[in-house]
Amino acid sequence: MEISPFLIFFASIFTSNILLTNFLGMCSYLSISKDLKSALGLGEAVIFVMSVTSVLNYLVYKYILIPFDLDYLRFIIFIIVIAAFVQLVEMILERFMPRLYYTLGIFLPLITVNCAILGVALFLVIREYNLLQSLAYGAGGGIGWTLAILALAGIRQKVDESKVPKGLQGPGFAMIVTGIMALAFIGFSGIISIQ
Amino acid sequence: MKQDPILERAEKLMKPGEISSSGFLGNDNRKLVDILLDDGQTVASLNLSHEILADRMEELTEKAREYLGSPVLVDGYLEVTIQDSRGNIACPFQHMGMYPKENVHVLNVKTGESIQWTSLNIHMIREHGFYEGKGSPFRVDPLDLVRVLGIMA
Amino acid sequence: MLSEVLRTVSIVSGISVFLAGLLTLAEKFLLNYGTCRININNARQIEVKGGNSLLRSLMQSDIFIPSACGGRGSCGLCKVKVLEGGGMVLPTEIPYLTEEELKGNIRLSCQVKVREDIAIEIPEELFNIREYTATVEKIIDLTHDIKTLYLKFNDGDELSFKAGQYVQIKVPRYGKVRDEVYRAYSIASSPRNRKEIQLIIRRVPQGICTTYIFDYLKEGDKIVLNGAYGEFYLRDTDREIVCIAGGSGLAPIKSILHQMHEEGINRKATFFFGCVSKRDLYYVDEMKVFESLIPNFRFIPALSGPKEEDNWTGETGLITEVVDRYITDGSNMEAYLCGSPGMIDACIRVLRSKGMPEDRIYYDKF
Repeated sequence: MEISPFLIFFASIFTSNILLTNFLGMCSYLSISKDLKSALGLGEAVIFVMSVTSVLNYLVYKYILIPFDLDYLRFIIFIIVIAAFVQLVEMILERFMPRLYYTLGIFLPLITVNCAILGVALFLVIREYNLLQSLAYGAGGGIGWTLAILALAGIRQKVDESKVPKGLQGPGFAMIVTGIMALAFIGFSGIISIQ
Repeated sequence: MKQDPILERAEKLMKPGEISSSGFLGNDNRKLVDILLDDGQTVASLNLSHEILADRMEELTEKAREYLGSPVLVDGYLEVTIQDSRGNIACPFQHMGMYPKENVHVLNVKTGESIQWTSLNIHMIREHGFYEGKGSPFRVDPLDLVRVLGIMA
Repeated sequence: MLSEVLRTVSIVSGISVFLAGLLTLAEKFLLNYGTCRININNARQIEVKGGNSLLRSLMQSDIFIPSACGGRGSCGLCKVKVLEGGGMVLPTEIPYLTEEELKGNIRLSCQVKVREDIAIEIPEELFNIREYTATVEKIIDLTHDIKTLYLKFNDGDELSFKAGQYVQIKVPRYGKVRDEVYRAYSIASSPRNRKEIQLIIRRVPQGICTTYIFDYLKEGDKIVLNGAYGEFYLRDTDREIVCIAGGSGLAPIKSILHQMHEEGINRKATFFFGCVSKRDLYYVDEMKVFESLIPNFRFIPALSGPKEEDNWTGETGLITEVVDRYITDGSNMEAYLCGSPGMIDACIRVLRSKGMPEDRIYYDKF
């Protein structure tokens, strides 16, 4: 199956948004969406880490796991790669980009356990993407995820000012909003499909 | 509910001994995000806002400042006293900036009820909607505040 | 079967070891800054291990920058001028710096990391500041919320200071307090006596340091402090002196009065001491003694809200009103203020209205 990387990139932002169609990365999505600023900070970190780790994990999978017939270990290996990469990025930022370190730094540890990032790595194996497709999928997935969390943060900032029935406050309300948003995004799915 | 790292860090700084000796959370075991949510809804259900409450507190604090520690009667029913100490205290939300250590004590002479706050309380209510945890010595319960100060929506 | 298990284990371990090794190497090279040199005022050079904050590095070399929060970036006191190195201004510093300070390369030394050779400028007198250990000789209640502490330096150590200066007390970890902090208190005793100092401390509700002093500290305990700091001392002029204080602000004024008595300074001087009611008033008798020792000195206590049972016959009203009544022309006077920030601001307004130039009004703003 040869889909153009370009198509994958756009599809993973809109029609196959990893958050709104696969419901991955929900926990940080719900907890960090209280205000736009931190949502954006986390989003930027996710875009970067997702793009790079999708390529890294592709390489690890293709050149280490497949030749040795170990693809059943991919869950654990992918997680290790992601965790090590996040650590490395944290150190590089601290040394060379202190300003960025102060704004993104606090979000980096959260990313290690963001299941959307592992999800991307696993999907690209299932869908048998090549290197370029993996990169497109990782970058698009990250941007899509960021778009979704920004949208929710914007809505929640408004909602916080209004009266919400007691039982629906907080996560409950966010879930309903997410559901409606997912409906809207899936509305695009007729245009391009990659799944 | 999980909370973002900024609140997580704020919650850490609110522990006793970090910024103040008794901390900001008292014996409240809820997550910071839930405390904020609860008080926010209380204020909203009274048709008020953090802004309105903070404005009124600020106004009374200003009056008390003029009297340098002596009690002053404001609007005929509120006796306001300020005690200020040297030094400043930081906001646990890392919102930056320092707030003078001012203790404002307000006595409603009609009802005999009283309430107290600091200038950091005013900032935290206005900017973060934070009234401190239950059992904290500086908790400004929104319901008490509204009742003692006689604030109407 | 066995070989397959072994192979799997070794490959998974191999990947983990490789990544762990990579991280260790990265840490070694990325987060190791070697030895860095700090050039101070172009006069002194110290060598420190890179990677720590400037404040801590200087402290390890026995140079103390005033700081209340112990280096957590929450007090904004530890400002120094960084001439070279130090990297860019961090978002954690900006709220504490004015635009002028930003232009003048002023930084918070607790936030600046020493990662390269660095050149700084600090006031010369900070070189004379060091850490002292003292024993608490006596703790006495002066009022319901003010205590006085007598501290004697250990091993015959001596602290030389100007009357009016302050020291910083190191508050150790106690109770729930898990970090050391420093708090500043003015010295109340005579500068002639260098072996022993007296501090006057008012309880701050829930304050970290005052809670320690009021509830934990006992006579005979050891206490660590550093000093002396401050620009609040008697200027050598012939002008008439006005001192205004409230609460524990009496401390540095008392030290200055000791100095005036011991050095035979006979300038006309008036000390206005403002309290709410009689229970807040202390050292009235001591001040009476100073009135007899210093020829032109007058002590004027004032209560803003005396209770009936106080039987108060002295001055009443806010301290600003009393000062307003006593002073007609302030143009040839100089003033020394010590007290709460609100009181200081209000007094400055009154003194300015009496024609006193602002640069002759001295006070410590903490």
